[in-house]
Amino acid sequence: SKNKRCSLTPRAGNQLTPSLPHFVEEGEEAEEEEEVLTKEVEVGADGVSAMHPDLLELEVDREKCRNIRRHYRQLIYCVQQNREDIVRTASESLTEALEEADVLFDCVSRTREAVLDAQFLVLASDLGKEKAKQLNSDMRFFNHITFCDVLFVFVGLNWMEAECEEFSDCDDSIASFFWETVQKEATSWMLRAETFHYIFGSFKAEHSARKPRLEHHKRSCKMEGNGDMPMKLKKLDLNANQETTEKEVERILGLLQTYFEKCPDVPVSYFEFVIDPNSFSRTVENIFYVSFIIRDGFARIRLDQDKLPILEPTNTSQVDEENDSCSYGRKQGVISLSLQDWKNIISTFEISEAMIKNSY
Amino acid sequence: MLQKPRDRDCQSAQPLSCRDCGVPRDVWTEPRAQGCAALGFCPAPTTPTRELWTQKQLELKVAELVQFLLVKDQKKIPIKKTSILKHVIRDYRDIFPDFLQLAAERLRYVFGYKLVELEPRSNAYILINTLEPVEEDAEVRGSQGTPTTGLLMIILGLIFMNGNSISETEVWGFLRRLGVYPTKKHSIFGDPKKLITEDFVRQRYLEYLRIPHTDPVVYEFQWGPRTNLETNKMSVLKFVAKVHNQNPTDWQMQYCEALLDE
Repeated sequence: SKNKRCSLTPRAGNQLTPSLPHFVEEGEEAEEEEEVLTKEVEVGADGVSAMHPDLLELEVDREKCRNIRRHYRQLIYCVQQNREDIVRTASESLTEALEEADVLFDCVSRTREAVLDAQFLVLASDLGKEKAKQLNSDMRFFNHITFCDVLFVFVGLNWMEAECEEFSDCDDSIASFFWETVQKEATSWMLRAETFHYIFGSFKAEHSARKPRLEHHKRSCKMEGNGDMPMKLKKLDLNANQETTEKEVERILGLLQTYFEKCPDVPVSYFEFVIDPNSFSRTVENIFYVSFIIRDGFARIRLDQDKLPILEPTNTSQVDEENDSCSYGRKQGVISLSLQDWKNIISTFEISEAMIKNSY
Repeated sequence: MLQKPRDRDCQSAQPLSCRDCGVPRDVWTEPRAQGCAALGFCPAPTTPTRELWTQKQLELKVAELVQFLLVKDQKKIPIKKTSILKHVIRDYRDIFPDFLQLAAERLRYVFGYKLVELEPRSNAYILINTLEPVEEDAEVRGSQGTPTTGLLMIILGLIFMNGNSISETEVWGFLRRLGVYPTKKHSIFGDPKKLITEDFVRQRYLEYLRIPHTDPVVYEFQWGPRTNLETNKMSVLKFVAKVHNQNPTDWQMQYCEALLDE
């Protein structure tokens, strides 16, 4: 009786590994057998050879219950294994299982077995629900393969069937085209809000999700500003110019004084001194610097017998004695020099190289 | 102008007890300006003194909330009330419903979006479009990012036509024929399994449920709450019908069900 088979035949080819119910069963049986043995030993020790009738009855009961439990477990196991079969096909297996459980339930008297019965009922009802669902979808006349085919036709890719075996073999561009076409149709049936994006973009999406407030917008503006910008002036260095002028003036004064020392009695032709035959702009600069020298009194300019300007050193003693700017009678002169004048002077005086050498 | 009922209004206000501490009103004989801490009856309110809001302040706050909602909606994951309170409203919890109302109005009249609660009492919100798609829209609508709506709609169609649920196995069986595999990288969708079983579920378009008593576990898909808000059975049926180049009435059961749904 211990090996009574389940009324449902398992599907052919089922690799049945003993599931939990079996293990529990065996464990239980061992436990209960032990109990029985102890009883027997006790009885033996007393000297009474036969078991008490009450105990005997109890033992029979226990055996019965064990059987019932075993049956339930087998039933549950079988039904679980044949799940697919029960749900998909029009077989009567579920009804049969339910009937069997009904018969078993008649003998149930204790909680332990009732629990198993309840477990089976849950399983059976879930499967029943699925079976109904399956029936429902069968009646809905919706064929997946047809849906697939019409999708291709709808998108306009029915020529493809000749081209490639499977859709996945095809070009990425074809897949793109397919999904975009479907997308267009699909979106017209949904009330989906378009996603909001800043025109100039933002940082990583996670950031904007975490701190999506006004500061976000400021950040994106700044991001824009940090692009390609011309080199900024760190600070406006006005002094630099002045220093340069002073330095230059000093340098030129030095040159002039060197010349005066070398040739003490020969005055320097003004034009020969300032003109740079190679650069008109430097000529103008030289005139500018020399004017400082004259202003400060380190040299003076006067017209010689040919009415050409010459530079003369000022005697420092002279300067001290007659250090009255008023007596000197400050004169102002304006020299204008056009490009043509410059060229004329160069050719007239035959100036071939500049007297004031450049510092750069 | 949004004004919080305050102690200075106690004489004219309705509440019978102070909102901050619950001290019954008849204890006072005159209105207080700075909150009932001045009375010495109860500890200072934990929330800062709320002054009258100028129109400008209110506008600013509502604008912040609108911006927050728009940006949060980018991922299409429902926006939690706690998130809104934490980031935007902070201290003014009890006027949250008013704020939300104002923001919802702004969204509706300026953007044409509706702010709805995902499910009753779920305290999560989503944005949906109030504008019905039109022919001229077709070029622009849904053209941002990857075309996932198409895939979604196909799955929704499968689910509905099959009786409002379908097993994952059947879904993959179908998608394979379209070149979408659960284990293979897709040129457009990347990881399709993640997209369908995680992203769509997190966005609440789909429900991913375990079928009981299955070993190994098998899951099934159903429509999620967002789907019911953004579309309906009739629309999905019409989509399927259009693809088949047939009438929706050709599927009697589904058509009746869709009619009942409306």
